Parts: sequence; structure tokens; C-alpha cells
Amino acid sequence: MTERPPYVPETAADEGHPYAPDTAVAARPPTDATEPLLEVQELSVSYGRRGRSRHPLRPAVDGVTLRLSRGETLGLLGESGSGKSTIGKAILGLVRPAAGRIVFHGAVQDEDITHAPPARRRRLARHIQVVFQDPYGSLNPSRTIGQTLSEPLHITRRHTRGQAAARVSDSLNLVGLTADAAERYPAAFSGGQRQRIAIARALVLEPDLIVCDEPTSALDLSVQAHVLNLLVELQQTLGVAYLFISHDLDVIRHVAHRAAVLRGGTVVEEGTADRLTTRPSHPYTRTLLTA
Amino acid sequence: MTELPSAVRRHRPAPMVRTVLRRPAALVCLAYLALLVLASLAAPWLAPHGPTATDLDHVLTGPGAAHPLGTDNLGRDVLSRLMYGGRPSLIDAAVAASTVLVVGAGCGVTAGFLGGWFDRVFSWAVDVMLAIPVLVTLLVVLAVVGDHQVLAMAVLGVLVSPGVARVVRGATLAVRQELYVAAARVSGLGRRHILVRHVLPRVAGPVVVQVSLFAGGALMIDAGLSYLGFGADPPTPTWGNMIADAAAVTDRQPWLLAPPGVVLGLAILACGVLGDAVRDAGAGRSTTATPPAPRSRPSRSRASRPRKGTSHPPVPASRTDSSPALLSIHDATVALPGPHGMTTVVEGVDLDIGPGETVGLVGESGCGKSVTGRAILGLLPGRGEITEGSIVFDGTELVGADPRTVRALRGRRIALVSQTPLTSLDPVIPVGGQIAELVRRHHGGTRRAARARAVELLRAVRVAEPEHVATCHVHELSGGMAQRAAIALALAGEPDLLIADEPTTALDAGVRAEVLDLLRQVQRERGLAVLLISHDWKVISRMCRRTYVMYAGQVVESGPTADLLAHPRHPYTAGLLASAPGRAAPREPLRAIPGTVPAPHEWPPGCHFAARCALATPACAAAAVPLLEPAPDRGTRCLRHTELGKGDDRDRATAVRS
Ligand SMILES: Nc1ncnc2c1ncn2[C@@H]1O[C@H](COP(=O)(O)OP(=O)(O)O)[C@@H](O)[C@H]1O
Ligand code: SF4
Ligand SMILES: [Mg+2]
Repeated sequence: MTERPPYVPETAADEGHPYAPDTAVAARPPTDATEPLLEVQELSVSYGRRGRSRHPLRPAVDGVTLRLSRGETLGLLGESGSGKSTIGKAILGLVRPAAGRIVFHGAVQDEDITHAPPARRRRLARHIQVVFQDPYGSLNPSRTIGQTLSEPLHITRRHTRGQAAARVSDSLNLVGLTADAAERYPAAFSGGQRQRIAIARALVLEPDLIVCDEPTSALDLSVQAHVLNLLVELQQTLGVAYLFISHDLDVIRHVAHRAAVLRGGTVVEEGTADRLTTRPSHPYTRTLLTA
Repeated sequence: MTELPSAVRRHRPAPMVRTVLRRPAALVCLAYLALLVLASLAAPWLAPHGPTATDLDHVLTGPGAAHPLGTDNLGRDVLSRLMYGGRPSLIDAAVAASTVLVVGAGCGVTAGFLGGWFDRVFSWAVDVMLAIPVLVTLLVVLAVVGDHQVLAMAVLGVLVSPGVARVVRGATLAVRQELYVAAARVSGLGRRHILVRHVLPRVAGPVVVQVSLFAGGALMIDAGLSYLGFGADPPTPTWGNMIADAAAVTDRQPWLLAPPGVVLGLAILACGVLGDAVRDAGAGRSTTATPPAPRSRPSRSRASRPRKGTSHPPVPASRTDSSPALLSIHDATVALPGPHGMTTVVEGVDLDIGPGETVGLVGESGCGKSVTGRAILGLLPGRGEITEGSIVFDGTELVGADPRTVRALRGRRIALVSQTPLTSLDPVIPVGGQIAELVRRHHGGTRRAARARAVELLRAVRVAEPEHVATCHVHELSGGMAQRAAIALALAGEPDLLIADEPTTALDAGVRAEVLDLLRQVQRERGLAVLLISHDWKVISRMCRRTYVMYAGQVVESGPTADLLAHPRHPYTAGLLASAPGRAAPREPLRAIPGTVPAPHEWPPGCHFAARCALATPACAAAAVPLLEPAPDRGTRCLRHTELGKGDDRDRATAVRS
């Protein structure tokens, strides 16, 4: 820990304090930090209806280049509208890039997935998953947790009922829920629990990469701590990589190995999360730090 | 992990069909329509007479034993004709409704779900078709094809489809944009699967509404066409030509109009009511955005339970300011109506604000901060009420006061700025006009002077080009600009106290800092007292000299902000501060507080934090914990606050980490 946020009292770190934090422990390097997993090259994305718009399109993402290694967390930091989520959506195939390439380094071969056809996209689901910000909108309210989680297993893995149920209960256990959660509906769970469920859904297919789009922004501080702990722990045990999107500098500093700062659709600064969040070199990053 | 409450119940939104059937009106309508279908199907067996059997000895009789509904001008039995006549009428309506279902709803769902070029062609086609006059076209078609009523009704269905399709497309589009549909796509599910499992169940409601409303209309048009002589030829009965026959002899037997008229009218009405019932059921069921349902537990009325225990004699924390407080809340308890009856959501709150002072109220969502703020303004939601305690503003008791007293203070002496400026600004009136209106209401003066004052206020909240912004509507402003305008609006009455409820939560970091600076500036310049409600410790520590911490409806800790942050005297405050990212080394576990905040109806009689507290002892759960004074200027609702600074409980507290 290199710098304390201004509101955190020095004295609360006293040894005798029951909630005093651990003394700083050197961060573990990511596993296989050198083995590339995903590359985003000169990516541009524009929104707007083709042909109809009267205004010239301002790209939401404009020439962004990023790379992510296996087992690594890359933080994307920026204010709302800076293009963070759009990059995530392009990687997930939820928006069509206007230019640039997205290359996924699979176990067997490297593959350009920028415009992967639907059938290929469906198979990519095994490798790339997502956790959204909104714990209330991201689960279908009329389907049980078990139905929602086993769906991709039946479809993309052709699991039998029994296999799927076993896998679902494994994932629920991984996120700290008991297997009987599978029989309940989303309404029975709090926001924090729903985020655990969303993480479990991302995990059922054992992906290499999870795009986490502000996964704790809708949560209270104490609930956020539980979810961040869970995400870090899962990475350490499963070796999954995260593209971690957030507007919160403290969160990025805590979870990310490396980070990029976005503004107006372009990357203004990139580096290790530690350096970026303590000794930023770009003036814009500095304003985020002091804000 | 400890976050899962032990008694989570199964909670499933009731299926649409059952929700609809629980409505008596819908049930009656369905039963009536079913009766009509059965009666017309069973006409050959149940009808007392043939539909065309004439009995010229008994023409135009009223209802009687032989003919329950009387006879017509040829002596034919009205009841029998009604039963036989139902068949063509209902079949026609069904044909029209099915056409709408297939063509209208089908195209709407496809366009909404697929988007792209199909959607563009669809929208263009809809625009074209909506310009076609339905009835005229229908009559032209009938003139060309002759007496082919079924075909005519199919054409009617096609003509009406664009309107239905457009509604259905909108509903589909909304569902398609739900996050869980995006998540399903990311999960690798195919389009057809997503359509069938996720989208169709959600748009079924709107489709049923549209089709059933239309079916009523189709019945009417069908009858109208029959009446005009289209459709089945004379001896064969239809409801429409029965009405036509009856109309010809109204002067001799007016009763004849009643049976077909009433049967048809009720059928049309039933379709409409059924559609409405489905729509209402759908509205009640949309559970996507609702917060979690309260977990089941035997409900208890908290309002009636004695709050204060006897085993711990209260040691009141002394008020620090020697100057009289501008606002003094003492032991205030607020109950709101909820799923468990009137439920206490704020309990025994003590809070003082001096003139010109900025005081923080911090805590996690649902702990009662906003309700406390609203209670001061006398703006509790629903039938909420302050059940105990007092709120004294500048010497005036507000609890139990004449509503007019409170209303007179509101805006003029106590103002509110809320999280979303959109809720405080009227979308249809320009910003400047709204501010000017308030200036005049509170301080009179001419229209022109009020307008000038409005621009001045906008300038004071550092709006660039205030003259221009004054003429803008709120949706034309950015989030930060709208919040400035909302602050200007709050300042219009020149209040003494501003309640700012999460004023910067919806804003980005940069804008947040500017709005906070602005608040501090107006506070200084105008000697305004501010109650700053926030869940964000950064905001609180930057703005407030004194702070109150709320947990589960109670103020659990209070004191000067810097001191409170440095030496928390309540395990909740300490735990919350320790759980902030940045309090542990990167990727090392954060010290999360185990468990979750109890909902108001679950509050234990003792310390509200006991279930999650590392320092809890049996004494903590035994009785309500009073507000204690651990040090001058400090308050805490913890019996063991002296243990907090010590090392004894370190081990147990460490075990708390999840
Ligand atoms: N309009 C309302 N109707 C019923 N209950 C409400 C309403 N608003 C708030 N509550 C309940 O009152 C309690 C306190 O809510 P609130 O004051 O909004 O908390 P905070 O502002 O601290 O997030 C919560 O349990 C909440 O569910
Ligand atoms: S009173 Fe007891 S249970 Fe409550 S916070 Fe203090 S030590 Fe914990
Ligand atoms: Mg609130």
C-alpha cells in the first residue's frame, strides 16, 4: 500500500484496532503474466443508426489499443461516457466495432474475433464471460437461478441434466452460496447476493476472461468489500483474467495489476495500477486522483 | 460465506395466467366469453328450436314459457337464433384476432428482436399502412370479393396489424435491451432460444392485451357489416342481422333489440375488461427493477414495541454547542407503511444542527438517512408518520404541528436538494421560470424582478451563461448543470437550512468536486446550515465538521468528523471504514463486515449491529442500547466502545474477515 486515500485516518491502522488492516503485503504477480490472452488493436466504435442520423457520429471509442495476459486483471478507469463499457461490449460481441481488431489468444490458436459470426460467438462464450453492474436487471426475474445458470451448459456444452446441476452447484459454492440457491428466484436475494450469482453464471463455463463492468458500483461499501474479496480469491484459485471496468480509483488500485485511463473514447494513460493510481503522469489522471 | 440469510424463501413472480385469474372481473369476463363459445357450439343440441323454423302464429311475442326470449317478426325463436348466430360472429372475430396475432404480433416481435434492415423495412411499412383508412378499404374489399365475411375479417386483421405490431415491437425492444438478455447472449445461447425462453414470455402480456382489445372491436365491426347486409344471407342468423331485423320492427316490439344487443355489448365489454386485467397484471408483475423482497420472518409491529431497555440506564450525550441549535431532533421515531404493516424505519434519532453549520449524515442505503431528512420537511412517503420524539426548528416544534406551519417553512426556511435534480425540476417549465416563480412566492415582487433574481441565482451557483440557461428545460442540461440549477432553486427562498440528500451521488468525480465546492461556497456566503446526507465518506470528510453515522434506523455514532474517522467508537463505523478498498494491500482481502444489514422488520430488540459484531456479548442483545457519551462531543450506541481502541479483541475481530 503506497498511499492512503485522504479520508482514511492514519490512527485507525493502530495495531490494537479490531478492524485494523493487515500490514502491507507485497502484491503477488499475476500467473503467467507473459502469456497473452486478448489484444485490442486500434479499436473504434460508433453508436447511432446508420443512414438516419443527422449528426456526424462521434465515436464512443476511438483507436483504443489494450492487451491482457492470462490470469491478469486489467483495470479500465474513466468517468461515465468515457467509453469503458463500450470496449467491454465490443469484446463480448454486443456492439459492432467500426474499425480495429480484437484478437483472442486461445489455447490452440490466435483468432481475430472482431466480427466473429454468431455460431463462433456462441462457442467463444466458453472463454469470455461478463458480470454487469446492475444486480437487479442482469438476472431474468421469472427464471430460477438454477435455470439461468444451467442454460448455457445445456446449449453450448450439451451437458445432461445431472451434469449441469452438478456444475451449477459447484459454481454456486465457488461464490459462497449453497446449492439450494439454484431453486430460488432472483427476487429472494439481496443486491450483493445477486452479484455473487452473476459471478457464478460467468464461472459455469470456466472462462479464461471475465469482463467485469462496474460490478460493485451499485453496492454499498461493506457489500463491495465482500464482492471484491470474492473476485480476487477466484482469480487466485482459477487463474481467470478480468477486464475490470470502474470509475473508482480505489477499486482499480485494489483489484488491478495494470490499468488504462480512458477519456472521451481514448486511452490517456496506461501502466501498472500501482503507479497509475499513486504517481499518475497525465494531468487528467491526476484530477481523478484528487477528486 | 455469511451473506446468505438463513431463511430465504422461494419467491417467484406468479405466472401471468394465475395473476389474471385472481381478478374477479377478469374471471367473470372469461366465464362469459366461454359461455358464448359453448352455447354457439352446442346450439344444434341445446337450442330449443331450429334457427330458421318459423311459427307465424306467434310473431313478435315477448319472452314467455315457449320462447324464453320471445320470437321475431317471422315467429322464429330468438334464443335459438342467438345461439346459432353466435357461431359466425365469434368465428369472424377469431379470424380477425388470429390474423392480428400472426401478422401484427409476429412482425412486431421479429422486428423488435432482429433489428437491422428488417426493422427498418418494418417501420417504413408500418408508416405506409397506418395511412390507409381501415373501414373504407374494408368496404372496397367486400365490394370486390362479395359476401365473404371470413376473408373480410382477415383483411381487417391485416389492416389493423401495423398499430399492434408497433406496440409489440416496442415491448420486444425493451426486453431485448434487458441486461439479462445480453448476459444470455454472452452465455452463448442462440437467438431462437433467447427469443423463446426470455423474450416471448415477457411480451406475451402486451400481445394478449392488444389482441383481446382488438377482438372486441372486431366483434363490433363484424356486427356492423352484417347489419349493413354483408355476411351470412338472411335466413341464417348472425348477431348483426338480428339487430337489423329488430331495428326494422322497433315500433312494434322494442324488446327484440335487447337480446342480440346485450349479448354483443357484453361480449365487447368482456374483451376490453379482459385486456385491461392482463395489462394490470403485467404491470404488477414487472419485477425486474424492484429491490429484493423483504425476507420472510414473522412480522412484528415495531411501532408498538417498547423501544428502550431498562437494564442500561441511558446516559445522554451532551449537546456541544452552547449556542441554541437551529434544528434539534430529539428521540425521533418514524414509521412507514410496508409489506409488514406500519414498520418503524427510523428509531430514536437525536441530531442537532447549529446555525450555519454543515453536518453529515452517513450510512449505507436503506438505513434511514433519507427518511430522517424527509421527516424534517414533513414530506414522509405514503402514510408515514413521526410516532415519537420532537423536531424543533428555530424554536418551533414541527412534530404534531399544523401542516400549514410546516408548509410555510418548507422552501422558504428549509429547502431540499435531492440526488436526482430531475425530481425537483419540472420538465415542462424553463429552469429560470421555476426559480422566478419560487422567488415571487416567497418574497413577492414583480415578475421582472423575480426573473432578474433567478438569473442572479444561477450565476451564484456558477452556471455559465445564466441568461441562456434560464430559458432551458431541465432535459437540455447536463447532470452537473441540472444539479446546480436545483441548488439555485433551493436557494430561491433564501432558506436557513438546506437538506442535501446525496446531492452528488449521481455525478462524475470531477463534477462532484465542483458541486461540493459550490455547496461550501453558498454555505459560507449565506450562513446556510446544511444537513449533508451521503453514503460516501470522502464527501462527508471533505464537507462536514460534525457527522452522524446511521445503521439500521438508528444514529449509532456521532462526533467531530476528523475525530470520528480517526477513532471510531462504534464497531460498525470501524468496520465500514476498514472495508474500503485502499485499506488493504492490493488484492489482499478487505476486512468486510460479515452478514448483511437487517431489514426494518428484522431489527432485534437489542443492539441492531449485534449479529455482525465481533465484540458482541449477551448483554448487547439483551436490551436496547442507549446513546452513550464515550468522550466529550462524542456519542455511540455501543456498550463496549471502550474495547474498540484496545488489543484484546484483535484475534476475534480478525476472524471476522470473510
Ligand atoms: N416510499 C417508501 N415506502 C415504504 N418504505 C420506504 C419508502 N422509502 C424508504 N422506505 C424504507 O425506509 C427505510 C429507510 O430508507 P431510506 O431513508 O431511504 O434509507 P437511506 O436514505 O439511508 O438509504 C428502508 O427500509 C426503506 O425500505
Ligand atoms: S453494543 Fe455490543 S453488539 Fe452492539 S456494537 Fe457494541 S459491542 Fe457490538
Ligand atoms: Mg437515501
